Amino acid sequence: MVEVQKTGTFQVLVGKLNEVLQEYIGDPVRYLANWGRLYSLWPVHLETACCSVELGAAAGSRFDMERFGALEAFGSLRACDLLIVTGTVTRKLAPRLKLIYDQMAEPRWVIAMGACAITGGLYFDSYNVLRGIDDIIPVDVYVPGCPPRAEALLQGLVLLQEKIRRLPSLKGV
Amino acid sequence: MTTEVTYEPEADRIMNVALGPQHPGAGHFRIQLWLDGDYVVKAEPDPGYVHRGEEKMCEYRNYIQNVPHLERPVILDSSNILFPYALAVDELMGNKVPPRGQYLRVIMSEINRIISHMYFLGIMGMFVGHTTMTTWGMGDRDFWIDIAERIGGARVTFAYIIPGGVRNDMPEGLKERALKTCDWFEKRMDEYEKIFFKNPLYLERTENVGVLTAEDAVKYGATGTVLRASGVRKDVRKDEPYSAYEDFDFDIPVLNSGDSWARSYIALLEMRESVKIIRQAFKNMPQGQVRLKLGPQPRVPPGEVFARTEAARGEMSYHLISDGSPRPYRVKIGTPSFKNMRVLPHLLKGVHVADIPAIYWSLNYWPVEADR
Repeated sequence: MVEVQKTGTFQVLVGKLNEVLQEYIGDPVRYLANWGRLYSLWPVHLETACCSVELGAAAGSRFDMERFGALEAFGSLRACDLLIVTGTVTRKLAPRLKLIYDQMAEPRWVIAMGACAITGGLYFDSYNVLRGIDDIIPVDVYVPGCPPRAEALLQGLVLLQEKIRRLPSLKGV
Repeated sequence: MTTEVTYEPEADRIMNVALGPQHPGAGHFRIQLWLDGDYVVKAEPDPGYVHRGEEKMCEYRNYIQNVPHLERPVILDSSNILFPYALAVDELMGNKVPPRGQYLRVIMSEINRIISHMYFLGIMGMFVGHTTMTTWGMGDRDFWIDIAERIGGARVTFAYIIPGGVRNDMPEGLKERALKTCDWFEKRMDEYEKIFFKNPLYLERTENVGVLTAEDAVKYGATGTVLRASGVRKDVRKDEPYSAYEDFDFDIPVLNSGDSWARSYIALLEMRESVKIIRQAFKNMPQGQVRLKLGPQPRVPPGEVFARTEAARGEMSYHLISDGSPRPYRVKIGTPSFKNMRVLPHLLKGVHVADIPAIYWSLNYWPVEADR
């Protein structure tokens, strides 16, 4: 029969392990669900302006977004859970952007890519441009740059995955 | 009161469908389609989703401040949209651009043409379902981006061609690396020809699809690759040589079939000529200054000027009016994408729905550029 030590380093270690498990796993079902979500993000195919070139480069063979778990943007809106807003949103596109966001099923996340999607960027004083998309839809990750490099977009994706990993409830957002 | 309901099978035969703006086959652009079964009866392009008011913005920025936002409309081809702007301002101010600056302008313009055409071929592969073409095109494009990055300092927006010359000289060791890339790229293009353009599956999707005759191309005002794929030899680089283009020996590729295959194949032929020009430019590069010293807020004498160049998609033009103040009075940008869009309703009439992506993207239409 193994004698369990009541005090000492072993118990401290067990305690630490328990803490870590509580913090990161907590509810195992929630942990598994979030783990499944974060490595199979389906982006919406919506290009709003010129940053879509760098999105194309990030999805291309050199930077390969798929190795981080963002799949090809060919799904239906109902199956998608990631909306990457690539740049300027004009007055004509804004109602459509809201409509597209509303059609996506929960949980859903939004990455605002480029200075234009964050504040209006270079086009802040144009008569037809929205000064940031967070007036119409909620944004999870902001990726600054004009346009951001493909590496910056990948970093934004990894940050979003970190956020999904720590989601408090099963329902999502 | 009785209402009579009659069933007319022919009444709802025509279905109205919108392709875009959220659709894998149309980015920031919508095509309104009227369909009869699988056939397109009528197609109406609906641009304007990315209209950012570039021309109005030019009026409250000075001539140097206008450079960064003017290259954004066609970010794939950012040097070629600045080229005519720089030519127009140079002509109004009477700038004599140093020869080394002229050569660097040509080099950057041709590198950008290759970058833009590679992106075009990559997306063309995606649209016709040829994934190898997508990964090759997007991957090989990055070798040229690396060279452009070493000259201009950014991946896509260089702000390199400015009024008075170019922003900076090229770095040490760039020539060797660029020539090495040229060697590799020429061999690579032979593979492209073999694997993509002689591929029976690719031919099946694009040959005799969306045929544009030479008369129609001229009638609708098509330009650039679309016009040359229909058999009209027209290129601003040869017709009205600007900058240093009269020094170089190159051909204008022309194809006669005018279908989607020709419009994509001509991009490959043009890249061969671009490599030829880049080689000659590095070989005969003159020494000296690369730009004139202009003040931070240069004053431009009053006048009106029109300048045009050959961008990757076709003829890019600027009409610039100055009233003598530091800011332009009016800037009008003529973009090749907008000119080529007028062909789209004509080409889409009567085709199968499945052929729409192959026709739409073969026009090399970049909506941001058309909307400005």
